[in-house]
Amino acid sequence: MTGDFAIETYGLEKIYRSRWSGREIRAVSSLSLRVPAGVKYGLLGANGAGKTTFVKMLLTAVHPTNGEAKLFGRDVREPEARRPVGYLPENHRFPTYLTGYGMLDFYGALSGVDGRERKRRIPEFLELVGLKDWADVRIRKYSKGMLQRLGLAQALLHRPKLLLLDEPTDGVDPVGRREIRRVLDGLKEKGVTVFINSHLLKEVESFCEYVAILRSGQLAVEGKISNLLTGRGYRVTASDVPAPALAEIRQSGASILPAAEGITIQVTTREQANIVIDKIRAAGSEIESVAASTSSLEDLFMKTAHPDKAA
Amino acid sequence: MRTLASLVADTFQEARARWLFWGLVALSTLLILIFLFVLQIDLAAGAITFLGIEATTRRIFSIQKFVNVSYSWVAIALYVWGTFLAVFASSGLIPSVLEAGRIALLLSKPLSRTSLLLGRYMGNLLIVSLNHIYLVLSVWIILGLKTHIWAPRFLLAIPVSIFLFAVLLCVVVLVGVVSESAALSVMAPVGLSLISVLLAQHELVVRLLGSEWSRQLWMFFYWILPKVFDLGTAMRQAILFDRHVVWLAPVWTSAAFGAIVLAGALHIFQKRDF
Repeated sequence: MTGDFAIETYGLEKIYRSRWSGREIRAVSSLSLRVPAGVKYGLLGANGAGKTTFVKMLLTAVHPTNGEAKLFGRDVREPEARRPVGYLPENHRFPTYLTGYGMLDFYGALSGVDGRERKRRIPEFLELVGLKDWADVRIRKYSKGMLQRLGLAQALLHRPKLLLLDEPTDGVDPVGRREIRRVLDGLKEKGVTVFINSHLLKEVESFCEYVAILRSGQLAVEGKISNLLTGRGYRVTASDVPAPALAEIRQSGASILPAAEGITIQVTTREQANIVIDKIRAAGSEIESVAASTSSLEDLFMKTAHPDKAA
Repeated sequence: MRTLASLVADTFQEARARWLFWGLVALSTLLILIFLFVLQIDLAAGAITFLGIEATTRRIFSIQKFVNVSYSWVAIALYVWGTFLAVFASSGLIPSVLEAGRIALLLSKPLSRTSLLLGRYMGNLLIVSLNHIYLVLSVWIILGLKTHIWAPRFLLAIPVSIFLFAVLLCVVVLVGVVSESAALSVMAPVGLSLISVLLAQHELVVRLLGSEWSRQLWMFFYWILPKVFDLGTAMRQAILFDRHVVWLAPVWTSAAFGAIVLAGALHIFQKRDF
């Protein structure tokens, strides 16, 4: 049932090698991730954690050194796998010689939208992002916020099933952010999978259902935000838990985070905490502590992405 | 096919917006105007005066010959002028599409990297072809109206110039893909053309070279590089003498060079990370 997942990656890895010195930089390391179709998913990480490289590997702009990636069950190397994808890159450079209308027309054509449909949809999407009056203005005259909104319209024009947004509100003022947020909120009922790559934690926390945090190219934590950020929940810290037991714990809906003493397992209910404790003990591992927890995404991010700076 | 057409149209739009297309048209128009001005001189009378042609039955033949010579030199001038101008105009169109933030979005679309690069290549070729057709056809009409001698073989300058540009554009694409530098994308094909002119003097040079390996090396490079000089010479002879000219060797070796270079560019483009 691979089609149930919008994104699947298995052991995805990117190693950049310096041409002259042969020095290796591991941008993404053995990353396995499955994003269910129809969810809002946030990918977090500090600068240089490998977020953009990961997204670019999904779109074949960067070739993985190892591993494989699929979009709705199709290998990303097939151009057709990218047809249901809308993408707004970070630091985009749209052709400034085009007007807003011309830009949507060009990228719409490349996405496979026929001419008649483009004529119908472009005014509709320009209105959606609040740029109707700017349709015939060359985009070199657009502000950063307007460019982001136009980029969003570009990503949505072919009615994608998966929307990949790389830092969508970066450099956008609060009004522009609200506009982008309004458009994204409108996608919820349409069953579009939204994958946001961002370092704006508040946005991810309020919009996404799932989150993954990358640290030095590795998946440090992944799970439902409601599980990871329990207002009232339990945190079980344990050491030397074998991989099969960890897999079972993860399957039970718990979120697993790295910790100084080993791992921290976050659950929402007392029953879940008891199940996790039973599994850890059955595996012969040590429980370091069990505690009630409250946290925000920022706490989680700091603990995961910057454990040295976490309070 | 629709995707390819969109990419070609985008290249055209970019060339127009960057004034490259209009620049080419303006320079071509300037050349056409210069022709118009020069041809205010009475060609027939000028030829008679200049060459001392007498008013005999041989006169028509001589003027015809004079016009043929003019046609052939004009064709060569257009061949050189048009090609180099086109290379200069096209140099930035590959690096511009490889800019970070632009290429990533293009690659996210359901199209192959081969289509993307070929669309750009074909767009460039179309722009230059239109300009060559405009330039050569205009000069041909002006010369024909002025001399009343219509030499259709002068129009050979169109396919030959376009063919040469198509070959050199492969070099522009390769250098653009590898270096992303517009300056290098000009230098490489221009340098190659100059080397090709030197290599074409092989009959003389091979006699002067002392060792067998150096002679073979010279001929090796002569055969593998595009035949800028040979193609121009063949075109001039075809226009001048209206006779069968050996096109095969310069055409196929140049085409093979272009095809290999373009295949190399596509291969590198496939492998690159952006």
